Amino acid sequence: MRIKRSLQAAALIAAAVVLGLFTVQGTYALWNASAVAAPGTVSAASFDVALTAVNTGQATNMTLANGTAANLTLSPAGTLGPGTSVTGGVLVTNNTNAGGQFNTAITVGQATVANTAGGTLASYIIVNAKTATSSTECSSSTGYAQIGAGGIVSPTVGKGGSIVFCFQVGLTSGAPSTVKGQAVNISLPLTARQLCGVPSGC
Amino acid sequence: MKNSTLVKGTAAIAVGAALLLGGGGTLANWNAEATAAPGTIVSGDLNVVKSVNGVWKDRAGTVIPDITAYKVVPGDKLTFTQDLTVTLVGNKMAANVATTGISATNGFTPANVAVSAPALTVGSTAVANPLKPTVTGADQTVTATITFEFLSTTTGRADTTASYNFNNVAFQLTQVTQPGLS
Repeated sequence: MRIKRSLQAAALIAAAVVLGLFTVQGTYALWNASAVAAPGTVSAASFDVALTAVNTGQATNMTLANGTAANLTLSPAGTLGPGTSVTGGVLVTNNTNAGGQFNTAITVGQATVANTAGGTLASYIIVNAKTATSSTECSSSTGYAQIGAGGIVSPTVGKGGSIVFCFQVGLTSGAPSTVKGQAVNISLPLTARQLCGVPSGC
Repeated sequence: MKNSTLVKGTAAIAVGAALLLGGGGTLANWNAEATAAPGTIVSGDLNVVKSVNGVWKDRAGTVIPDITAYKVVPGDKLTFTQDLTVTLVGNKMAANVATTGISATNGFTPANVAVSAPALTVGSTAVANPLKPTVTGADQTVTATITFEFLSTTTGRADTTASYNFNNVAFQLTQVTQPGLS
C-alpha cells in the first residue's frame, strides 16, 4: 500500500516538473557572453594661424580666443613722398596641432584706404603686395604687384610652415602738396583656408 | 515388508525436503550480470573576449598610436578595428554575434561628422550568423570596424577643438538553438 502511494506521488511530481519547464521557457536561457571595447575619444585640432608684424615683431593669433578676427598693425618704415613708397610685412605661420596633414593657403584681399581727419590722401595711395619666404625680401622692390579682385594667394603653407606677405605703400608722383602731413588708415583682409586633404577630393 | 516401510519413510522425507527446498529464496532463478561504462560527458564552451586593445588608423592606413594625442581636421577619416576572440565548442553549438552599437558623447556638430555602426567581419567577409565551431574547435576571430569621418564640408572654424567620446561599445555572443536541441 505504502509503496503504491509513494510511486504515485513521485509520478505526479515528475509531471509537474516537466510542465514547469515547458511553460516558463524564458528562464531556461541558452549560453551567452559579452565583451566591451573602448575606442576612446577623438578630438579635433585647433585652427591657429599666427601673425607677426615684420617691422615691430608684434604678434597675434589670426582668430582671437572669443572667435573674432584679430587686427594686426603693420608699421611701414619711413614717410611717403610723391613717387616714393614704404614697405611692411607680416609673417603668417600655420600653427595647427593637427595629427595628420593640414595644408593651408593664405589670401590677402584688396586694401581699404581710409582718410583720417577729413583728408584727401587716400586717392593718391597705391598698395601693392607680394609673397616672400623671408621678411628681408620686403624691402626689395622686385615682385610687387597690384592686388586684384581675387586677392593674392600664397603657396601652400603646411603644418608648422610659414609665409611672408610684403606690402608696398606708395604715393603717386602726381600727389598735390595739399596732402602733405595727412594720414590714412590702410586695412588689408587676410584669410587662411585649409586645403583639401582628401585624396578623392573635397 | 520391511523394505517398503523404509522406502515409504524415505520417500516421505525426501518429498518433505523437496518441499522445503522449493519454498525458500535461497535457490534463485538464473541470473547473470554485466557492467556498462557510459563514459564521461564533457560540456562545450561559449565565450567572447577582447584580448587586445583595438587599433586606430588614419585614411592612409597608418597606425595612430595614441588617439588622445591625434587631432582631427576636416577631411580626416579614421578607422578603429577591434579583434574579438570567439570560443565556440559543442557538437550542436551555434551562436549569433552582434553589437549593441555606439552611444557616444558627441561634442561635434552632428552634420560635420559621420560615424559608422560597428561592422562585424570574420576575415574579410561580413559575419554570417550563426557562427559555428571551427573544424578543430579552435578559437575564431571576429573583427569589429568603426569609421569616424570629420567631413570636409565643415566650414569656417566649426568644431575646432571639439571631441567625440565613443564610451563603451558592447558585443554579445548568444547561443541559438539548433536541430536536436530543445
